[in-house]
Amino acid sequence: MVELGVRLGIPLALLVLAYFTGAAVERRHYASIRERELRWRSVPAITFRSVPPSWKVTECTLITGSVVISVDYFKRFLAGLRAIFGGRIKAYESLLDRARREALMRLKQKAVERGYHAIVNVRLETCRMANARNSESIAGLEVLAFGTAVKLRNAP
Amino acid sequence: MKFDPSIPEDGINVSRTHPLREALLLVGGVAAIAIAVAVAAAVAVDLVAPHIPIELEVRLFSGWFDRGVEADEAVDPREQSLAKLLGRMAGHWPENPYAFEIAIWDIPEPNAVALPGGVIAVTDGLLENVESENELAFVLGHELGHFRNRDHLRGLGRGIAFSLLLVAVGVGGSSSAVELASLAGQFAQRGFDRDQEIEADRFGLALLAAEYGHVSGAEAFFEHLPELGGPLDGELASYYSTHPLNADRIQALRGMAHEMGWELRGERQPLLSLSPAR
Ligand SMILES: [Zn+2]
Repeated sequence: MVELGVRLGIPLALLVLAYFTGAAVERRHYASIRERELRWRSVPAITFRSVPPSWKVTECTLITGSVVISVDYFKRFLAGLRAIFGGRIKAYESLLDRARREALMRLKQKAVERGYHAIVNVRLETCRMANARNSESIAGLEVLAFGTAVKLRNAP
Repeated sequence: MKFDPSIPEDGINVSRTHPLREALLLVGGVAAIAIAVAVAAAVAVDLVAPHIPIELEVRLFSGWFDRGVEADEAVDPREQSLAKLLGRMAGHWPENPYAFEIAIWDIPEPNAVALPGGVIAVTDGLLENVESENELAFVLGHELGHFRNRDHLRGLGRGIAFSLLLVAVGVGGSSSAVELASLAGQFAQRGFDRDQEIEADRFGLALLAAEYGHVSGAEAFFEHLPELGGPLDGELASYYSTHPLNADRIQALRGMAHEMGWELRGERQPLLSLSPAR
């Protein structure tokens, strides 16, 4: 019985801990994302392949922003259970949402810091990182945002 | 073309379901499935077990339960005298198909269990609490009664179900089959119902009368067990948890003795080599 308690208790304690830390981390991350989205909302990051005809581009460069984000124990537990029944892995939705928005914000931040006015042809790439070779479990995700930053004579 | 600098509402990409709700739903689903599987297995095993031929039972379970004796330890002298006593008791059951074995478990709580394959396990605690050979003979006779009625197999399904649940939860992940089997054995013995206990008592009492000519010791056995608080006081393995002691059990004992004309009083044999080996 004691052994059973230990075997059940440790994972359970980890789950509770992971739930609270994970929720706190997520709340803070979202707050930071929203604040930056507001700050840089006037910097266009658009998916057009070419610059709109009215823009007079003086300079351009490849620019990237990427983020690596970890799955917490609680989310992995939920996803593991989801794998039994199927359906939307809701626990991972917020994770990926945060990663995409964070990558875009880093892209914008870099462009602004280097004096660019806008980014065109923005693309997002997602890459999953395994715990070990041939391992099915996910250690974390990378989201890479990249595009062409442009300086404009008639900045929007 | 105008650039729209407003930021979209967030939310469409992220489900609104609270993660704890999701967890509750998923865990509940898994638990429901696991319990359903375990219960189905338990019912199936319990239905089939009493009909397993005894040769098959012995073959299936041989070697599962002879724990409690360290390999380097010489054979416990208590085990030999217990085996002798058991042989005498079983001698009054002519159609006995088992070749019984005795195991002494190093557990302080007084208990005795009938295990699949013909093993009777007796705890140190029990040996320290009996005061005469007759009491011990009654305990062994009672366990023989469980074998005769095949009660020891009836609870097996529950044990297997519990093991299945452990595996399902993942806590049994590293357990070997043997470990699971012994767990199954522990649980197999839990909670015979009152009628099964009284039937086993009846058989034990008959063997006691046949051996000594009276049934003195049967009642005394219950008296010499130390008082335990509630049914869950101390370890679960106590004699009371597997052998619920209600007043009507003693009542039934007296009734049986009266009915059969067995004398409740008589000379009890002393314990010879059963005192704890120290
Ligand atoms: Zn019993």
